[in-house]
Amino acid sequence: MKIRIDHIAKIEGHASFTADIVQGDVKAAKIKIEEGARLFEGILKGRNGEEMPEIVSRICGICPVVHNLTAFKAIENAYGLAPDETSTLLRKLMMLGQIINSHSLHLFFFSLSDFFGFKTDLQLINAYPEKTHDATKIRDIGNKIVEVVGGRSIHPLTPTVGGLRQAPKLEELKGLLNDCKNILPLTIKLGEFFINLKYPDFHRETTFVSLTSPDEYAIYDGLMKVEKSTVSPKEFLTMTKEFQGPDKVAKRVKFVNKSYMVGALARLHNNADKLNPEAKKLLEKSHLKFPIYNPFYNILAQAIEVIHCFEETIKLLELITTGPIKIIEPKIEYWRGLPAGRQGIGAIEAPRGTLFYDIKVKEGIIEDINIITPTAQNLANLEDDLEEFEHLGGFSALSKEQRADKIKMLIRAYDPCVTCAVH
Amino acid sequence: MKKKPVIAILSLTCCEGCQVAIFDLGERFLEFLTKVNIGDFRLTEELPDVDKYDIAIVEGTAITKEQKRRLKIIRKKSKILIALGACACVGGPQEIKDYRGNKNRMLRQIYPNIRGIDNPNVKSVKEMVKVDLEIPGCPINKEEFFEIINKVIKGKIPKIEQKPVCEECPRKNKNCLLLLGKPCLGAISLAGCGAPCPKSNFPCDGCRGPRKGINLNAMKKALKIKAGLNDKEIEMIMERFGEKNEILKANKL
Repeated sequence: MKIRIDHIAKIEGHASFTADIVQGDVKAAKIKIEEGARLFEGILKGRNGEEMPEIVSRICGICPVVHNLTAFKAIENAYGLAPDETSTLLRKLMMLGQIINSHSLHLFFFSLSDFFGFKTDLQLINAYPEKTHDATKIRDIGNKIVEVVGGRSIHPLTPTVGGLRQAPKLEELKGLLNDCKNILPLTIKLGEFFINLKYPDFHRETTFVSLTSPDEYAIYDGLMKVEKSTVSPKEFLTMTKEFQGPDKVAKRVKFVNKSYMVGALARLHNNADKLNPEAKKLLEKSHLKFPIYNPFYNILAQAIEVIHCFEETIKLLELITTGPIKIIEPKIEYWRGLPAGRQGIGAIEAPRGTLFYDIKVKEGIIEDINIITPTAQNLANLEDDLEEFEHLGGFSALSKEQRADKIKMLIRAYDPCVTCAVH
Repeated sequence: MKKKPVIAILSLTCCEGCQVAIFDLGERFLEFLTKVNIGDFRLTEELPDVDKYDIAIVEGTAITKEQKRRLKIIRKKSKILIALGACACVGGPQEIKDYRGNKNRMLRQIYPNIRGIDNPNVKSVKEMVKVDLEIPGCPINKEEFFEIINKVIKGKIPKIEQKPVCEECPRKNKNCLLLLGKPCLGAISLAGCGAPCPKSNFPCDGCRGPRKGINLNAMKKALKIKAGLNDKEIEMIMERFGEKNEILKANKL
């Protein structure tokens, strides 16, 4: 029996899926990416370094902030620059806003319908009007954080090499702080709703990879945690291998020849002890026991992270709104005059997992660039999961259509970003 | 009661940020959905497609053969086709490759195996099919979109006013970025965005494309004298959203 899903809806970008089921065993499970190649890694060569972050934010309309900031971090890494504390804190706020808006879009509008068998969000909205209202309010805050700090919610404007171009208005940050405090209870309510959903029963061991930090739940900065060991992003990249998938246009990534998982579930595995109190409480309420080798729980992990990000936003805003916010715009002449180390690596936790920028730069001009997206990393793991999908609880009793629905549900649980995967 | 218009929100190759911008309207968008019938909107549903659209909103550029085929079908089944965002209107950053020499060499540098990967010259939607209305920007201004789409569902096709970004710029009488020595293209670029870039101390780089009747030589001269750019640097800015050919066309039109 052949399973073929032509257009997988409710993911970012276009993809389809094929597999054979031979005597109840899933074989040759392949995701086919159907985006045009935009050649971002080619068009940036020979361009000025400071142009790169603006252009690469256009790789993804759902997670433009993380592409923008990771590209800046790569340049700053090459030039040995460290943005001032205020700029760093504000960039961290932008990342929190980014994760809140991306996760709430995925949680509510992409994934939730799968639990109820709804084929359109209109059914979901009619069935849960109050929840829709809450999810929209939560998402609005994520957008507002990026807008207030970044100048615009999609394709941010204020970051620059070495810091920020401009400080947000203190009054707006205070307003934001107030909003976050008001909305935090809604995130907890939504988290409880996601705890009580019935997650499909599936188990396949894998390796969870994410940034980690001794000081906080790592998003903006940190070292790579791979099982028990910790390595620098640079070392990590030397141990990974990118290769073209069967669709040619999207790459896959393996670590020491094995697939691995990045994203919310991976971060929760590696850094749960660093979660903020309310997020931790919800995790305890869920009675989940690590390790959780069930990728469907990536959805619940995102719900927990939304709470964490709200708490973290409140924490950072309380810290920064105590006095006037001063930022001095770093000038291009300043960093371009510094000796560059040629290679620069940036790594940040995007909503969907660790995003890497590995660049070579000479006299301010980009010589080479490699972008390794979370979805490119997750695709190999997802295909390995699908290859063993016959182990899904109750699989043999499902009709062909039900099997296709469960496959789509798993693909969506990964929250793949196809336009990121192709770039 | 009048029948609700059938709307499709469709995506070709792009970042999908313009669809996200529509989503960012939040409650207003959800309310809007009750006034229309959804023909196709993959981000929110997986129902079978319908035969005809009253209004098709298309973001992105058709790069793969399949996308080119699809765009033609979309045109055939739509009464009104709206091109949404910089990619659909002027080509988007994916068009940069067409200005950078050998585009197949570029492809080979990225993919060891290039068989089966389409790599045509990038074209805006209006270069492929008839477009009834363009809503430009990278991303679109969601407020402008909302205003326009509410007119379109009532049967009107509004025109975007031909004025420069400078007119909407909060810095126009003081702290003009160009006068401060930054490479700002606000004077030749089409307004309607609300000038978020200069508001954030970021020079306009013309994502909405040019307004009609610009004086490119005067713009270039100002960029050289005020911002100290050379010809190559000016060209590179004009390439960022694929708008360079549009700028050349609009020059003294």
